[in-house]
Amino acid sequence: MYGWIWRHLPGNTWVRGFLSLVLVLAAVYALFQYVFPWAEPLLPFGDVTVDGEGTGGAETGQ
Amino acid sequence: MAARTEHEERVDGSPPVRRRSRHPVAAAVSLFGELLITGGLVLGLFVVYSLWWTNVLADREADKQGNSVRDRWAGGPGALDTRNGIGFLHVPAMENGEVLVKKGTDPKTLNNGIAGYYTDPVESALPSDEQGNFTLAAHRDGHGAKFHNIDKVKTGDAVVFETKDTWYVYKVYAELPETSKFNVDVIAPVPEESGVKKPGRYITLTTCTPVYTSKYRYIVWGELVRTEKVDRDRTKPVELR
Repeated sequence: MYGWIWRHLPGNTWVRGFLSLVLVLAAVYALFQYVFPWAEPLLPFGDVTVDGEGTGGAETGQ
Repeated sequence: MAARTEHEERVDGSPPVRRRSRHPVAAAVSLFGELLITGGLVLGLFVVYSLWWTNVLADREADKQGNSVRDRWAGGPGALDTRNGIGFLHVPAMENGEVLVKKGTDPKTLNNGIAGYYTDPVESALPSDEQGNFTLAAHRDGHGAKFHNIDKVKTGDAVVFETKDTWYVYKVYAELPETSKFNVDVIAPVPEESGVKKPGRYITLTTCTPVYTSKYRYIVWGELVRTEKVDRDRTKPVELR
């Protein structure tokens, strides 16, 4: 997979290295900005309230 | 430049040959391995996100909102403002400075690095009410982690709530290190689980436990000892000096 990406990047080794870095940063940005904020409420790590079962707002896995 | 690129490609011309010669099973195993490494890196980044980046964002937002409340207060004493935050919670034992308190405990509110008072399933009383339980929730980890050190709060410690014109000084009288998240009795107007039977002016702090998870809830109860009028210089009560 990474080998395939590397072979398909244009330019010499330096250009490819730079483009790889840009791709990695773009991936990290997308994760922090979109993927993690979406995934976080689905995981049971940050639920701090007491709440009866089935009541709105903070249920399991906030 | 073009010639050089061509030259590079000719030098790199060998990989396609190697790829063709590679066994499909070897290729599949290699891809699988790369996916596993990628998955590990993503999970590692998620930890960084949860425990560091959300704190950065939340602290920034909490500072901004706290400053705007202070700015509004600077105008002099006035009516209670519930929309933008009703005041600041000071718990010296937690060593986390002041925590802005706003209405509601939905994740969107709490993720801004503030504490929220309950509106559901049991509505919180306000400190100014004649009697009732002022019930608060905040994050243990990530998103400001305002109640991270809740386990440092022990019986006898002071919990001070600062509003525009009054300091409410509470004293912790009971802790519950672990309870079910369905135990809504802990935030009842008279929280009998803490050992009290009569209506009074209580404060309840709730957060998740153990750290980094939210399997259980950690509860700390306090009772109002006295109130102090805020003076012109906002002199802090002795508990905070």
